[in-house]
Amino acid sequence: MRVATGGRPAGHRAVPLLAEPALDHYPEYAGFLATVFGLDADPFGPPGVLTVGGRPYELTFLGRSGRPFPCGVELAALVPGLEPLDTEVADRDVWAILEWVTAGVGVPWSVEALRTTGRIYRVPAAED
Amino acid sequence: MPAVPRTIADLGPHVAARYPYPSRFETVNGWRMHYVDAGPADAPPVLLLHGNPTWGYLWRDAIPPLLEAGFRVIVPDQIGLGLSEHPHLAAAHSLENHAANLVALVDRLDLGGLLVVCHDWGGPTGLGMVLARPDRVSALAIMSTWAWRSPSATFHRRISPWRVMHAPLVGPYVLGRHGGMPGRGIHLSVVDRDRYGREGRAAYEAVVPDPDDRRLTWLWPRAIPIGEPTDTTGAYFEWLEAGVRPLRRPATLIWGREDDVFAMDPFLHTWQQWWPHAEGPHLVTGRHFLQEDSGAEIGATLAEFAGRVLPPVRADGGLR
Repeated sequence: MRVATGGRPAGHRAVPLLAEPALDHYPEYAGFLATVFGLDADPFGPPGVLTVGGRPYELTFLGRSGRPFPCGVELAALVPGLEPLDTEVADRDVWAILEWVTAGVGVPWSVEALRTTGRIYRVPAAED
Repeated sequence: MPAVPRTIADLGPHVAARYPYPSRFETVNGWRMHYVDAGPADAPPVLLLHGNPTWGYLWRDAIPPLLEAGFRVIVPDQIGLGLSEHPHLAAAHSLENHAANLVALVDRLDLGGLLVVCHDWGGPTGLGMVLARPDRVSALAIMSTWAWRSPSATFHRRISPWRVMHAPLVGPYVLGRHGGMPGRGIHLSVVDRDRYGREGRAAYEAVVPDPDDRRLTWLWPRAIPIGEPTDTTGAYFEWLEAGVRPLRRPATLIWGREDDVFAMDPFLHTWQQWWPHAEGPHLVTGRHFLQEDSGAEIGATLAEFAGRVLPPVRADGGLR
């Protein structure tokens, strides 16, 4: 997992994977992502980019009147050209991103609790 | 079967044989609400309300005893679930809006003298409707639900699995992309899991086929107050408690002996404290989704209760 600089790689399109309208439901999640992507200093900059195994993912942060920024986030895979999305790889990469976010948010949240929950609900990536 | 079912018939004979009623629709607050309306139009009406992540099908075994006893049975699918419209905007799913959708339905059908039967989110939404339309309601039945800000459930306060399951980004992934609620979620909260696998699971999964259809399955868990600063529905539940607690309508309490989500202590016990006049508790085999294990027994209990407490209907269709 790496936070990339320079924004969306040239020639890539965004394929939406998750939309979270209430990132502030537990504000520590919003706080972690705001810190990592420098949103307090530059809330209106370009979307954040993460890479998982070299594959880029884009995080677009959302604001909403009356709520602290960011109140939401959209996660998209960045796919070159018009190539199809490998959904199985993307699904496992999203799980890796969730583990990274959970570890970053910290106590009382934990990667172990996330993995346990994933196994209870038979999420394939959690059962690997 | 169509990829996106719109009616009970679309779900195929496996479902239609167990839920053999024509699909009906009303527009409530601009949304398409699916419901079943069975039995004589002039019979005393019973309104069966489901919660998350189920739909009217949950009541399939409870309906026949009510119909055999001569009642009219109305079973809506809450907006966002079942065969009703699934709005993607989170703002559509405030508790006020869901209660108002039920208000709109009982107004559109001009229902009166109702027995309102509340399970899971059918409680906070249905009881909100009761407070808005008290003159339409004669009696209440309460099953594995609540109407207050506190006490909350140990299960709902735990980090794993409950709070992690619907945490930011995790909820849209585990419950949205992977459909955790109608599949594993119900499976874990019934007693006879083999029967659920044979008769229930496919019907619950088929009505929310795509991740976007499952939005309410992860938004509603976030609306349960657990005593955290991030509780978003405290004001609604305080309003609900102030109105519901002093209600003295005839009431009955039905609970699953094995319910470990809304455990008898504190949930059933709180209802008993609030409503000392309530009948029961009628304890049946069942976890949170007790209708899956004891639907027919619950239907018979409701029919017996309704037969004693609902006002009979005049020959001209009005209530006596």
